[in-house]
Amino acid sequence: MSTKNMIKISNLQKYYRTEEVETVALNNLNIHVKEGEFVAVMGPSGCGKSTLLNIIGLLDDLDEGSYLFNDIEVAKFKERGRSDLRKHNIGFVFQSFNLIDELTVFENVELPLVYTNVPAAERKRRVEEVLEKVQIMHRRNHFPQQLSGGQQQRVAVARAVVNNPKLILADEPTGNLDSNNGNEVMQLLTELNEAGTTIVMVTHSEHDAKFSDRVIRMLDGQVIMETSALKQNG
Amino acid sequence: MIKSYIKIAVRNLKRNIAISLINICGLALGIATCLLISLYITDELSYDRFNNHADRIVRVVFKGKVKGGDLKEAHVMPPVASTMKAELSSDVEETARLRIGGAPLFMVGDKVFHDEHLAYVDAAFFRIFTLPLLKGDHLTALTQPNTAIITEAMARKYFNTIDVIGRELPIKGNESILKITGVMQDIPKNSHFNFDVFTSIEALEDAKSTSWMTSEYYTYALLKKDAAIRQVETKLATLFDKHVGPQFMAGFGMSYEDYKKTGNKIGLYLQPLTDIHLHSDFVYDLSPSGNIKYLYIFGVIGLFMLLIATINFMNLSTASGSRRFKEVGVRKVLGAGKQKLLVQFFTEGILITYIALLLAVCIVVVALPLFNHFSGKSLGITQLSAFTTIPFLIGFGLLIGLFSSSYPTLYLSSFNPLSILRNKLNLSEKGLSLRSGLVVFQFMISVGLIFCTVVVSRQLDYMRHIKLGYDKENVIIVQSWPLGANEKAFAERLAQDSRIMHISHSSYLPAGATNNNNFFIYPKENPNQWVKTLRYDVDDQYIPAMGMKIKEGRNFSKAYGNDSLSVVINETAAKNLGWKDNILGRTLTNKDNKVLQVIGVVEDFHFKPLHETIAPLVMVLSDQAGNLIIKTKATNMEELLATVKKHYQAFPSDLPFDYSFLDERYNQTYQSELKTGQLLTIFATLTIFVACLGLLGLAIFTTHQRKKEIGIRKVIGASVPDIARMLSFEFIRLVVISIIIASPIAWWMMNMWLQDFAYRIDIKWWMFAIAGILAIVIALLTVSSQAIRAALANPVHSLKDE
Repeated sequence: MSTKNMIKISNLQKYYRTEEVETVALNNLNIHVKEGEFVAVMGPSGCGKSTLLNIIGLLDDLDEGSYLFNDIEVAKFKERGRSDLRKHNIGFVFQSFNLIDELTVFENVELPLVYTNVPAAERKRRVEEVLEKVQIMHRRNHFPQQLSGGQQQRVAVARAVVNNPKLILADEPTGNLDSNNGNEVMQLLTELNEAGTTIVMVTHSEHDAKFSDRVIRMLDGQVIMETSALKQNG
Repeated sequence: MIKSYIKIAVRNLKRNIAISLINICGLALGIATCLLISLYITDELSYDRFNNHADRIVRVVFKGKVKGGDLKEAHVMPPVASTMKAELSSDVEETARLRIGGAPLFMVGDKVFHDEHLAYVDAAFFRIFTLPLLKGDHLTALTQPNTAIITEAMARKYFNTIDVIGRELPIKGNESILKITGVMQDIPKNSHFNFDVFTSIEALEDAKSTSWMTSEYYTYALLKKDAAIRQVETKLATLFDKHVGPQFMAGFGMSYEDYKKTGNKIGLYLQPLTDIHLHSDFVYDLSPSGNIKYLYIFGVIGLFMLLIATINFMNLSTASGSRRFKEVGVRKVLGAGKQKLLVQFFTEGILITYIALLLAVCIVVVALPLFNHFSGKSLGITQLSAFTTIPFLIGFGLLIGLFSSSYPTLYLSSFNPLSILRNKLNLSEKGLSLRSGLVVFQFMISVGLIFCTVVVSRQLDYMRHIKLGYDKENVIIVQSWPLGANEKAFAERLAQDSRIMHISHSSYLPAGATNNNNFFIYPKENPNQWVKTLRYDVDDQYIPAMGMKIKEGRNFSKAYGNDSLSVVINETAAKNLGWKDNILGRTLTNKDNKVLQVIGVVEDFHFKPLHETIAPLVMVLSDQAGNLIIKTKATNMEELLATVKKHYQAFPSDLPFDYSFLDERYNQTYQSELKTGQLLTIFATLTIFVACLGLLGLAIFTTHQRKKEIGIRKVIGASVPDIARMLSFEFIRLVVISIIIASPIAWWMMNMWLQDFAYRIDIKWWMFAIAGILAIVIALLTVSSQAIRAALANPVHSLKDE
């Protein structure tokens, strides 16, 4: 793990407004994540963990505060800049996998490479390589609906890492899986982390949190505690 | 229950106000167009059907195939009517003739009227046609010479009353005075003839003629109930041969048998009264004919428009309905059976349809004057009977409502409630492809109509700019006959004006209502080769005034003394007479055995509409005029006309100064094409507009359905342009498919239409390109807003839905 901060968020404020009410989703939040670190974010439902993850992933705006990504201020980035940064640096893994039903396993994993204009031959090589890695190569021509939950999440992980992102954001990656499949996915993430990828994972599971280097606990939009986890060795 | 359904329906309409408006407006536009076209078609089909015996009345017409062209004349010889009644009495109940009497100058006190048209008719005319008399007895009114039946409108205009039986109606310049013996209801507008005065044909000496060689009598027959037209026609052919044969030798110098042997064929035929307006292309027709082809075209457009609008309704209802899955799920869980849901959604569909229908009727009322302007009709909503129209509209609305809401209703009510509530609805691919198919169908029609519009406008443009063989610019036609003996003096005064280049006396004009003065001739060297030509009575200034070109020889000229037995022929006449060279000095003989010498050949010019090829034409020198043809320099026309008018008014005349321009007369010839072009443009625009509403509906639906996918794609790196491009491309693909299907069909249809023109454009590839590109651009503009909106949406929201 490097000592350099990959993510440094200071004084982050995020509100949700409806016609009548303004709800504070994140309140004066300060966090940092070092390069190569595996951080778990925990807290009860509605505490703002997913919102935080979306902001880190540049999917959502912050209302106030600063967000340095590799020392670059990205809080004020326009849509195109965010999209560029996202596709070259960040991979996402969701609780509900979010695979496109109309595309095969291969095509789903290939998609990020299409959007970064990687040539077809190179795409094929990299997709096959990553499918081997997550041990789903034999299902390359299947559609997501034809796979088990664990297999689908492995495909989602493959898609998240195919572009060799520096950062993987995982939103309850084992939430929809049984414990065996869940462990497999956590093992995968650990291996990626050991290979140098920074991981920020939102989870409800204390078990999963043990795979991380550090746990950030949140309540009502604020960080209430940061603890170094007793890292479980897969 | 129904009350609750209507309440929910109204709330839904309000909640999705944009979609509801699009839906209602689209449907209203479709229904309105369909109603307008129905009004138009009903009116066209109603011609002459007001006659009680419409199905038994026929018109006797003359047709023939002769050298120089086909003969198709709406009037026949004077004795045809009486001969038919006498010799075909087992089939023919009654016959009557009509001969046009022009618009004489009627005098009432010191007032002179010139706008009313007179016809000479047999007394039996009023027994055949249903033309009720308000005053007088239709059986006896016209039995005496110089008796007249006038219309109610004319009676009121001339005498301010309809109690005019016994009043006298003198005609200026005519010794005889008409005595009014009847006042009839005005002739319905949908009659193929329209006269204001009917006078007894007894006054015409010519009407008693027994000649089968001249023809100016429109002849109608009322057939007996069991008579079959085809059989009567066969008997008529025998009758014709029997009577024409003996007279033919005297008229044509050869026997009728020999004439037929040389390939000529002439005869009388029967035309059902109800076919006259839409199926007639006879010369000397009494009023401009309609064209059944345009009725088919507009009928198809009307149906398409309605179909497009209902398809839209289906697409948009299904699109907005997908937002109601939850409501459907909850209702199903709470016990609503499929039947109840069907009733609910049908109620909503029918309610929307009736709102649209109401709006459509308003659109029709507002748009009628404009529609009348373009279609040349005077249709009114009052023409419709409330007793038949209202039930028809209610039934029509119900039918459209049921049809258009059938698909969305079945679609929405067929889902499993649990899947809906768990949000695990797997929207069927089949449904989507059906909707895509409907969009393809809509755009097929739109692209087809755009293409037709392009072709029609190119053909119109071609007709406006074709080399006519004469110069129609800067030519004024002045009606000079009312000046009588002063006509020449008037022309001489005008000749002093330096702005005027040529003045010709002639009433023969190559543009506007065509003169069809048949002139049968044969070349001296071949008496058996009769050629049908048209005769133009002109003076020596005609050719220069019209800017026509002498190809060979010379024009008529005072320098040559007597040119009265000289003729100038056109190139086609020379060709038909079989003359290739040494044409000048050759002679030809006409039916009266007059020998005429060719002194010049004028280059072919278009004297008939461009639907027909140029026919043989012979110009003879004549001092009978009626019109002055004035060729001017390019000058201030208003000032020049003021001068001409001043000179005209310097002479006594019963009629005001009247003039026209040759180029305007030319344009009038193509009014029906011009109107068709304009109507097509309007319909194409409307169709494309309504089709775009449908596309918009599909775009809203599809982007809504693919919200999650769009979110995922964005998260893994797709940019806004990537997403917008992807979504737009899929719609454009549908439009491209429709272009591919529509092009050959539209090409085939337009090719058929162009066949009507002897002079026509070729269909070029770029016409398809214009139609296709236009459709794509319009479709792109329609869907891109939705695509961009979907692409800009925050993916977090769509993924959160999970």
